[in-house]
Amino acid sequence: MNAKFILAVSGAALLAPAQSFAATTTPPATSVQADVTVVGRVASLCVLGTPSSPQIDVGQMAATSGTRVGKIATLPAQSVVLDGSFCNFGGTMLTVDATALTNLDDGGVAPPANFARAVNYTATASNWAGINAAATTAALGDGSSATKTGLGGTQGTPKLSAINLEVSNFTVPTDSLMVSGRYQGAVRITLGPAGVE
Amino acid sequence: MRKLTAMFSLVLALGGAAAAQAQEATGSTTDTKSLSVTGNVPAMCAGGTITSGAGTFPLGVLIDTTTGLLRTDLAAPDKVLAGSFCSTRSTITIGATALAAQNFTSTAPSGFSRSVDYTATAQGWTVTPAAYTTGAAANAAATQTRASAFSGDITVHIGDFATTGGAALRPVADNSYLGTVTITLATAN
Repeated sequence: MNAKFILAVSGAALLAPAQSFAATTTPPATSVQADVTVVGRVASLCVLGTPSSPQIDVGQMAATSGTRVGKIATLPAQSVVLDGSFCNFGGTMLTVDATALTNLDDGGVAPPANFARAVNYTATASNWAGINAAATTAALGDGSSATKTGLGGTQGTPKLSAINLEVSNFTVPTDSLMVSGRYQGAVRITLGPAGVE
Repeated sequence: MRKLTAMFSLVLALGGAAAAQAQEATGSTTDTKSLSVTGNVPAMCAGGTITSGAGTFPLGVLIDTTTGLLRTDLAAPDKVLAGSFCSTRSTITIGATALAAQNFTSTAPSGFSRSVDYTATAQGWTVTPAAYTTGAAANAAATQTRASAFSGDITVHIGDFATTGGAALRPVADNSYLGTVTITLATAN
């Protein structure tokens, strides 16, 4: 019953336009034209490529012989590439937050005299703007004050490039002896609009 | 009823598409990547260097030339090992060998002895100095443990000299009596 009632109302609605056409005297146009605006937008986007290595492992850090035995050895710089990084708008910059390596195995207790439980370094992110983003950590021997931030210059136009992240210049506060154990720090690299941290 | 059903289905389909679009939209104006930086320092110990003269305790003449018995005032300046360190929990162990005649190597005749016992101690590393007495049946204090990394001087002392076999024995004549004191620093678990 309900289905039959709906069909009757629909039929009346279709008759009304036919009566309207019969009353007009204007001949039908052979063609009509209308402009339809097509709009869209592209969101501002920055994407960092996948790091060539998810971790930077500098390995064994202490000299085991010679005059610097027990102190930090000369460690080579380490590089990671973030290929395919891009921003599709101008006015962007890199930011680097670097956290010193600190000892994971000593329970976080203050080291004995003449020892340190932190390793500082410089993290530099390059190949984006004229000025690289660089941060040099300045942790104390007890591992406190471990994080530093560095801002790069502004890239004025959209850019696609391989960003290079280098970690180098490893030092120990006051060149102290190093407490044994595993050490870990972190580098966070951010790509985004300039002036926004 | 069929129309209503169709419209409802369309809404569901549109809703699904919107959800799919939201899932694909992963970019933003800012992107961040974090990398860990790791390294390690091995447990190690270094013995440092002897700063107080050569590596020998010079005792001179061992006997009282009047009685032929061991002198009771034998002494030698302490030795200091400077710059010793361990980068972790450690033990210090001291060992020693009795002063023994180097030329008179046969068994000493009755009433004589060819060796001199003594006690060697190493202090400055642990609260209780490591100590070793030559000729003793046991040397429980020879090894001491330090719970943390440490860097400091170790002072080595020798004393409490005694003729092996008893104070009534006389050391045999020999131009060279030689013993050895050994200090060992080792990482401990």
